[in-house]
Amino acid sequence: MTSGRIWGRIARRNVRRNRRRTAITVGALALGFVASTVMIGLSEGIVAQMIENGTDLLTGQIRVHGPGYEPERSLYSTLGGRAGVDLDQMLAAIGGVAGIEAVTPRVYAGGLVSSGEETAAGILMGVDPELESSVSRILSALEQGRLPRRREREVILGQVLADRLRAEEGSEIVLVAPAADGSMGNDVFRVVGVFRTGAAELDAAYVLLHIEVLQALVALDRGRVHELAASVDDVWSSTEVVDLLPAAISSLDVEVAAEPWTRFRPDLAEYAQLAASFNWIIVLIVFVMAVFGVANTMLMATWERRREFAVVRALGAPVTGIVRTVVSETMVLGVVAIALGVAVAAPIVFWWSQAPPDLSWIVGDFTMAGALVEANLRVEPSVKGPLLSATGLLITVFLAGLYPAVRSARQRPADTLAGAE
Amino acid sequence: MPERTDPPGLSNGVLLRLAFRNVRKSARRSILTASAMTLGLALLILSRTLADGAHESWIDQGVRLGAGHVAVQGEGYQTSKSLDDLLSAADLDGAVEALGSPQFESRVSAYAPRLTAPGLASSTGSSVPVLLTGVDPAVEVEFSPLDDLLAEGRYLEPDDRLAAYVGEGLVRRLGLRIGSRFVVTAADADGQIQGQLLRVRGVFRTGVPDLDQSLVHLPLSTAQDWLGTRGGVTSLAILMWSSRTAAAARRELRDLLPSRGVEVLTWTETAPELEAAVKIDDLGDWVFHGITLAIVALAILNAVLMSVLHRRREFGVLRALGLTANETGRVVIAEGVMLSVISGLLGIALGLGVVFGFWSDGLDMSFLMDQELEISGSLIDPVMVPAFRIAQIGWSLLFILFIGISASLYPARQAARIDVAEAMKFER
Repeated sequence: MTSGRIWGRIARRNVRRNRRRTAITVGALALGFVASTVMIGLSEGIVAQMIENGTDLLTGQIRVHGPGYEPERSLYSTLGGRAGVDLDQMLAAIGGVAGIEAVTPRVYAGGLVSSGEETAAGILMGVDPELESSVSRILSALEQGRLPRRREREVILGQVLADRLRAEEGSEIVLVAPAADGSMGNDVFRVVGVFRTGAAELDAAYVLLHIEVLQALVALDRGRVHELAASVDDVWSSTEVVDLLPAAISSLDVEVAAEPWTRFRPDLAEYAQLAASFNWIIVLIVFVMAVFGVANTMLMATWERRREFAVVRALGAPVTGIVRTVVSETMVLGVVAIALGVAVAAPIVFWWSQAPPDLSWIVGDFTMAGALVEANLRVEPSVKGPLLSATGLLITVFLAGLYPAVRSARQRPADTLAGAE
Repeated sequence: MPERTDPPGLSNGVLLRLAFRNVRKSARRSILTASAMTLGLALLILSRTLADGAHESWIDQGVRLGAGHVAVQGEGYQTSKSLDDLLSAADLDGAVEALGSPQFESRVSAYAPRLTAPGLASSTGSSVPVLLTGVDPAVEVEFSPLDDLLAEGRYLEPDDRLAAYVGEGLVRRLGLRIGSRFVVTAADADGQIQGQLLRVRGVFRTGVPDLDQSLVHLPLSTAQDWLGTRGGVTSLAILMWSSRTAAAARRELRDLLPSRGVEVLTWTETAPELEAAVKIDDLGDWVFHGITLAIVALAILNAVLMSVLHRRREFGVLRALGLTANETGRVVIAEGVMLSVISGLLGIALGLGVVFGFWSDGLDMSFLMDQELEISGSLIDPVMVPAFRIAQIGWSLLFILFIGISASLYPARQAARIDVAEAMKFER
């Protein structure tokens, strides 16, 4: 048997010698592991929710505009300038880029919405209902009614806007909007549905029409759209996907400005980073607390065995051997704690990621960095959380074992065996 | 020992002396255990004072941009948001008069009448939905944070008429400059669409895209004429020195104001999402501290339990000398309490020392974020200024005592259950 295995075996024996002490120490470490894993999961759950609500809800993860569209968002700044683009070719070219899930055209206009005596300002948004559903979730937020049809003067409204206008499914409303030919476009439309997203600025201002109907209202041709919005397979790869776009549409000879969500929602990207740095703080604090407990236990355990160490030393064992056995003892505790921690944390993470417990009975929803956060305990499963926690835990037990180990290695065998403290 | 203990019970003095000796005897163990508790408590104090300070600042910023800590509004306005439910000129005067009474003097910091309406801001190429707010420039300088966020030009002044103070985002969207004109359109009190020409006097930058694009301040008198409110406003926003006095102030105002046509609300009702953000942040904090202190509790449990198992013989002797099982247990609990009290006081001192020694002017977190962060309509100040509250310190101390005592219960039971003969049989 090699000496390493002997020290390992001595360590394992000692862990078993005082089971109650071992159990409490492992319990504290496992609690730390579970706590930091679940807390990191919750924090990543909030970030994921913010990105989803911040991008899936309406904008998509990638936006393609004409070069001069931002920041004025002028009605005239359509893709391809006044001539417009061949929409079908453009959609096909962008949709074919690796990593893009779906792409949809949009037309925007600012206008006034009136119903009866009430009037409000609104953002008119023309969408293609079939394509739109695979990029954003706004159409699935429909609470009553149905989607607007092609060639029909039909709209759907946000809930708050509808309440303000005292309009409901079946009401008639008048839309007034400046048109691209310099005239004022206005017409009577029928409300065929009301949607509720929970995001205040959408519910209070958005009026959705079929894209071709809005184009007719504001005098834009079929090929003139303001935006192509795309969704991607992996939200974190948006920047790389954007870099692929120019090559994909080079043959169409259209000048475009494409942006990933990290650019047009920098506050969201910023919050994601902020949350990631807080994860480190969580792990640090949890395990700094644990260091004291483990160090204390190991100090007692080695003090109890000072005679034993003295005998081993007297028999000729090297100092490193003692250090090794004490440190491997704490490492054994650490590994057992991780195993226990994984066993406890995995079901919690699985459960809270599949069916997050609802907290709406304590608190309401709130918004952060402009994105809606729902009041629930949604956990985002990831390998980063457990990995970070496990690393923190192993560093903890190593450091906590080192001090008692060095102390016991330092004592002089002769003094200890003679009965001195 | 000079004095003799009474046979029926162990005096508290002796009990404490025994416990104190035990704590001192194993100094290293005691110090390690106490450090864990001290650190845990210091951390609790640290994060509570910073969080309390930060939350007060969230609320402050949120209500300054929003409807104030307490808002006096027309009945029904909170749900309808319609100019049909205005606070009439007479009710506004009544509310202002009530606020002048001495009972509010020490608590109210400022109050501002406002007329808010959603509308459309347009220039030749583009139109953007905005939230138009008619304000009294003289009081708004005290109230709103917007005038401090000036990027260009100046804030509104009392003599301004057709002036507007707008955000950087709107200026970009509409292609405006200082001095340029633009049109705002909204429905007036009679439901008619009315346009109004305004001239950009100043531009602010909050850093939050939504706010920079949608907030427009214009003089209150201009807004009242334009929207035909006959002196009415949508709300009288009241700023308190502390958010904690909001509920009481609302109650008192309700008693002073007519019950018909007027509604008095606190910020938790006008900005429920802000309260939710504060609550959920608090909840997360307590869970986090609960967990770290549970880890500390296990460390204490281990330390006290080990010290009990090491002293079987000593407890055997105590029992043989006539201590009851109950009294032996109490010695152990006294040890736990003593450790908790000592490390509790040290922890509070350390926590407060760090917070007020280093961060009394605020802990600047701006190195972590280079974008402005918005939470539930409130601008987050990256500088966290700690807030000291006696109650919070008291709770923290109780918390650590509870942990110290509950962690000693199991070891105390072990000590009490010692079999005297068994414990004294062997020399260890």
